[in-house]
Amino acid sequence: MFEFEVPEVDYTRYSNRQLVAVPLAVLVLSLAVVGGWWVVTGAPVDRGIDFTGGTELTIGSNSTLTNDEIAGTFEEPVVSIQGITTTSDSTYENQYVVTFDNSTDVSAVRSAVQSADGMTLLGSGTTSPLFGAQNQRLAVMGVGVAFVGMSLLAFAFFRTFVPSIAIVISAFSDIMIPLAIMNLLGIQLSLGIVAAFLMLIGYSVDSDILLNNHVLRRSGGFYESTYRAMRTGVTMTLTSIAAMAVMAISATFFGIGLMADIGLILVLGLTADLMNTYMLNVTLLRWYKYEGVNR
Amino acid sequence: MSALRENWRIVALVVLLVASATALFVPGVPPGTSADGGTDAGGPEAESASQLTNLNYGIQLSGGTRLRAPIVGITAEGVDVQATEATQLEQTVADELGVDTIDVRVRPISNDRQTGAVEVVIENVTQQELRAALEANGYQPDTVRDGVTRETRQEMVETIDEKLRTSALSGASVQIVNVPGGEHFVSITAPDRDREDLVDILNERGVVKIYAVYPGGENGSYVREEVLQRSQMDDISSANREGIGWAVYITVRQDAADAFAQRMVDAGFDDGASCGNYNHSDIQQTTGDGCLVHTLNGEVVTARGVTPDLGGSFANGEFANDPVYVMQTNGSEQANEIELNLEAGQLPAPLDLSEDSGASLDPALAERFKQNSLLTGLIAVLMVSLVVYVRYQRVEVVVPMVATALSEVFILLGFVAFVQYPLNLSHLAGFIAVIGTGVDDLIIIADEILQQGKVETGRVFQSRFRKAFWVIGAAAATTIMAMSPLMVLPLGDLSGFAIITIVGVLIGVLVTRPAYGDILRNLVLDED
Repeated sequence: MFEFEVPEVDYTRYSNRQLVAVPLAVLVLSLAVVGGWWVVTGAPVDRGIDFTGGTELTIGSNSTLTNDEIAGTFEEPVVSIQGITTTSDSTYENQYVVTFDNSTDVSAVRSAVQSADGMTLLGSGTTSPLFGAQNQRLAVMGVGVAFVGMSLLAFAFFRTFVPSIAIVISAFSDIMIPLAIMNLLGIQLSLGIVAAFLMLIGYSVDSDILLNNHVLRRSGGFYESTYRAMRTGVTMTLTSIAAMAVMAISATFFGIGLMADIGLILVLGLTADLMNTYMLNVTLLRWYKYEGVNR
Repeated sequence: MSALRENWRIVALVVLLVASATALFVPGVPPGTSADGGTDAGGPEAESASQLTNLNYGIQLSGGTRLRAPIVGITAEGVDVQATEATQLEQTVADELGVDTIDVRVRPISNDRQTGAVEVVIENVTQQELRAALEANGYQPDTVRDGVTRETRQEMVETIDEKLRTSALSGASVQIVNVPGGEHFVSITAPDRDREDLVDILNERGVVKIYAVYPGGENGSYVREEVLQRSQMDDISSANREGIGWAVYITVRQDAADAFAQRMVDAGFDDGASCGNYNHSDIQQTTGDGCLVHTLNGEVVTARGVTPDLGGSFANGEFANDPVYVMQTNGSEQANEIELNLEAGQLPAPLDLSEDSGASLDPALAERFKQNSLLTGLIAVLMVSLVVYVRYQRVEVVVPMVATALSEVFILLGFVAFVQYPLNLSHLAGFIAVIGTGVDDLIIIADEILQQGKVETGRVFQSRFRKAFWVIGAAAATTIMAMSPLMVLPLGDLSGFAIITIVGVLIGVLVTRPAYGDILRNLVLDED
């Protein structure tokens, strides 16, 4: 039977500089993407209707509709139309999600679908610009407080600068990398994704704490401790990645956007976390253990 | 007995599992549910009786509509107005602004209020206009701001709640959402209803008025006077009776009955009145002796005369013995609508539905979301089991691990059923997050205990377990820290997601994950 054993990485073969170079390069690249996006579009990431305001309708139909047919139903300008895969047990053969901008009145577009032939209104969601702006303010506040709180806890646990800041940098990078990839893939920020980022802060810190704990608070040599921490930590992260990947795929298949988004962001973030923990964090700890302590 | 004491963590886990099973499956156990299944609020819905569990689903998983909207209104705070001046000031401000008195409300200084306030609950009146109107009458407000007073918000919730209940919207709920920064919104959830149904109920401010129209003005012109107000009514019911047809029966409060009769006498109804040919579009035009006119939202519903018998009872005081005012309507629908509006009262202020934020979902689609997300969760659990099995290759490590993670979810479900928290998609994501962190922690425990060589004694086990627990506790603390801002910020479903995750982590750290350590010890020590 297939078996996996976390491989023992021979860290002695690489210098600190070599090890740190990769995660730092990826972080800088991500920051460049996010920063560039910010300069060009005015926001670090494309915001969905949860934040900009707007209306989204879910429409069911038993005939295949073209985008023009759907857009023609409405007097209001349509921002996007997205077909959703339906499974054999669904009531309608086709489902579409139609998005409108924040100047659209939800009652008007709802009644347009209700009076249209061959279309059934399955659902609608609307956010006014007022609520959108408020969601944005609150979400930034929430992620900010969560991040600062997490950082303070990290410092409280280890009480030394380098190991604690390693956790903070690693968590920061774990968030920035998926954010940059979101921009490249054209995924819009939703409230669900904000939840995913907060989950990511929690998950990302787990493996970092484990590593720091093994290296700093246990007896044994640095490389032995690191390997023990890796064996546990990599298993943990791989388990989570597997669960989230399955969730992302199956939720995409079922058309449950929120869960698909959360799954995708966590797969990206946890993969970034593997790199950050076992290249960036390990190196900072090694530097601290062999050189930093003696200063 | 000593075995029990040694394994108290496992005992605690079993106790919690049994408690959760009770909360989940035994009808009537969670407070607020009835023994015949389902929630009280679900009342007449037949399907609630056949529900498998006591879980309560939100609109994303059972369909329905959620609305969130600000209240229309501006408020002048810090107005030095006493209770005795309130009515007069309401009238003056309304005249000054050219609005109905019903849209102006004065909250005078009282025991609950250190300073008075004046609010105008209609669009198109600016803050400057309100300030000017008050200053013109010698009142100096401290501030004029958007929004309404706390009392009005409270009344909004009560009124909407009443409206939702009387309109047979089962399981609907309403609350005020406070946003840091001082804004307030009304949030309404109505399962099994379209957005249109809900808006219809809310949009109607439902102002029912009862006027006497009688000749009494200059040159024999007609005067219109409001003769009976909501505060003077006691019991209200609609019925279809022989010879009268559909009507709303309003019992006038005992302490107001005489005053009402007197007013009718003063208006010249004491010997009855024939309404004549009442002109519905011009309220002050009629040809008869006088009419009692009933309006709903400013539209005339019916105009009726007064029989000589009734007029006589006003004059001789007999009316007060059986003070029932009969408001005739055109059919059952109108009778019910008026009854509803009188019963529930009108909304103290309108909702600004152009600024609403909400969602509406077809129940069938929601049902599929529910099944599919459950399936997704199960697949995720299977995947996790597979990965840990591949990693450890030991059934006695892996099976308890997966069972423990699942029991965490089960206990969490029991908790959610007990507090009757409505589940939405984001909460299911929270469950998956709990499985994730749960299995992570179990891996830490397993690795720590199974490392290098055998666990010979209980003491070695204890020391290893304590070491593992430091990491788990620290990780749990950071997760709780990361989620806690969401718990208090009103970000829709995200608050629920955060609460689920935090409670899940707490259950995990305090009960299930330690219990896994005990299970593992028993299995590992047995081997040796």
